[in-house]
Amino acid sequence: MAAPWFLRATLASGAMAAAAFAPDAGAQVPSDLAGERAVFAEWLARSPLSPNAAIAVVAIDATGSSLPIDGPPRRLVERAGVVWIEGNGPAQRVPLGRPFALGKYRVVVNGDRGRARALVYGAVAAGTAPAYYDYDPRLVFAVSLAPPSGASARAEGHRVLLADGTEVTGTDAGTVEVGIGTKTRLRVLRLPDPSPDETTLQIYFRDASTGSGSYPAGRFVTLDPLPGGRWRLDFNRARNPFCAYNAAYPCPAPWRGNSLTGAVRAGERYKSH
Amino acid sequence: MLGMLLLAANIAVAPTGSWRAVLDLAGGELRFQLVIGAGVKSPDARFCNGTACTRITGVRYTADSLVLDISDYDATIRAAIHGDSLIGIYHNVGNRGPRTIPFRASRGRWEMAKAPAALLGHWDATYVTEGRKSPRVFSFANGRNGMTGAVISNTGDYGTFWGGMQGDSFAIAHFDGSFVYLLTGTLDGDTLRGVFHAGLRSQTPWTAVRSTGRPHLTPPTAMTGADTSAPFRFAFPDLDGRMVSNTDSRFAGKVVLIDIFGTWCPTCHEAAPVLLDLYRRYHARGLEIVGLAYEVTGDTATDAVLVRRFRAKFNLQYPLLLAGTSDAQAAAATLPQLRGFSAFPTTVFLGRDGRVRLVHAGFVGPATGAAHARQVAAFRATIERLLAEPRR
Repeated sequence: MAAPWFLRATLASGAMAAAAFAPDAGAQVPSDLAGERAVFAEWLARSPLSPNAAIAVVAIDATGSSLPIDGPPRRLVERAGVVWIEGNGPAQRVPLGRPFALGKYRVVVNGDRGRARALVYGAVAAGTAPAYYDYDPRLVFAVSLAPPSGASARAEGHRVLLADGTEVTGTDAGTVEVGIGTKTRLRVLRLPDPSPDETTLQIYFRDASTGSGSYPAGRFVTLDPLPGGRWRLDFNRARNPFCAYNAAYPCPAPWRGNSLTGAVRAGERYKSH
Repeated sequence: MLGMLLLAANIAVAPTGSWRAVLDLAGGELRFQLVIGAGVKSPDARFCNGTACTRITGVRYTADSLVLDISDYDATIRAAIHGDSLIGIYHNVGNRGPRTIPFRASRGRWEMAKAPAALLGHWDATYVTEGRKSPRVFSFANGRNGMTGAVISNTGDYGTFWGGMQGDSFAIAHFDGSFVYLLTGTLDGDTLRGVFHAGLRSQTPWTAVRSTGRPHLTPPTAMTGADTSAPFRFAFPDLDGRMVSNTDSRFAGKVVLIDIFGTWCPTCHEAAPVLLDLYRRYHARGLEIVGLAYEVTGDTATDAVLVRRFRAKFNLQYPLLLAGTSDAQAAAATLPQLRGFSAFPTTVFLGRDGRVRLVHAGFVGPATGAAHARQVAAFRATIERLLAEPRR
């Protein structure tokens, strides 16, 4: 069966290698997942804010940090919790979490007071295309979400990094039990999305394939709601953090306890470059 | 003959007409009406939630494919055409990567069932997430085809929801190219219970009881505070790069209404015609309006294109300034005299002395009916009162 038109168009785009996603070979891949992967590959290859455009991460403090960009010297400095960019005219306040244009560059500042970091983007470079394990229907689970309890349930939430290195506050959503190797309870955090009233339930996990086929820092997977209060945990949808594409990104630290003893050879894979 | 058939097969069959469109969310179907027209110069399309439609002009098709570019929100629907069916994906792009949702459509119009009388009217709803509660107000009415509704939060509403009864439950939805919302529920005695679906995966359970008339939401004028000890300061470039500030002569001694908005924000699109009407009514008597745009990209050239398009869409006659980027924290940083800024749009009313008299967070659109009318009346009353203050 030929790929649908909108996938063929994406497959033809320059930076996407045929091996990255081959719908003909991966006939088992559900169409929604195939579409999701194609759009992600296109974004990776073309977006000015994709990991393939990131050139550096800069830690910001009160003494100031130089930006590694062409043109007049620019420095980022944090004063009283506010980040400023200095050099080449009056200092300008830099918003958190959103791109700030500097000529042909863009800067995105994230992080709490005293720990802010700037991600600097330049032109989109030809980078690594995403690669995936074969689709494995055995690694799709219907799970129940046990409510948070005890020490894990922190009312103030947890400061964690999203896949793109953005620091957010996640709230405990509970745990799910998975039997890959030894039965393990994985922590689930509710993480905010940009749209109002939209959140996702995510798990950042490691497994026996971590570091040997899968990204060494771990992978993210999202819970999808099923009827009857259950959740679909589909490891074929596991995704690498953006640091897998570009070392400029801060890598999320593994979540305590979220380690599977068996190998999850599904979802996004990793070949070191 | 064979040649003619082959030739015909290569000619694009126009996908113009009405389509029963669906976004397949994890928790159910989000239904909306897609109408593709031939247009005057080029094809156009509308996404309709009942009679409330969003028009888009970026429509392209070939014999086997359709692309709908929703430029206001940096979003796209791409679909393969299979006879009388469309199958594809909707996606939009933020700075955290793309968000994709399966899309499909078949030719025809949705026929929706009306709601029973017991469901109509206002309901005080409570969302519950991991034990945390958050208030909303629902408003339901019957339309010509099915039922309409509004979901109102402390910061405004999300536009018109439309749908109907499915068995003993209802499902109403809002899709405008950016907001992807579905509200499902069932009447259980005197209580409504259901789920609010946002985007592909997000689901929030809620319960609701009949509104008693007592306030269930925080009043929009109590959400955001302001420093009133000095004139409200702003200084940002307009779309041609000229700096505009509160100290400019055009604002001296005038009542000024500041609209903090973003072109990416559907609620801001609903507020714009109301603000334009206020400007036309009161400008000659001393009202000025300034729009402060907080955009997604932060790239001046890109943002200026989006804001120009927004200005042209509504024929706005007051200045729009490029003030910053679109998260609430970033916007708050550019306007340090506001406290607790949390909503797009937010409307700041300045007296003739340039000081803040009122800050109205959020905006409830026409879908909310009487609430919208009350809000417009309150805006007019505030402007009338401020215009009546003596010049200093």
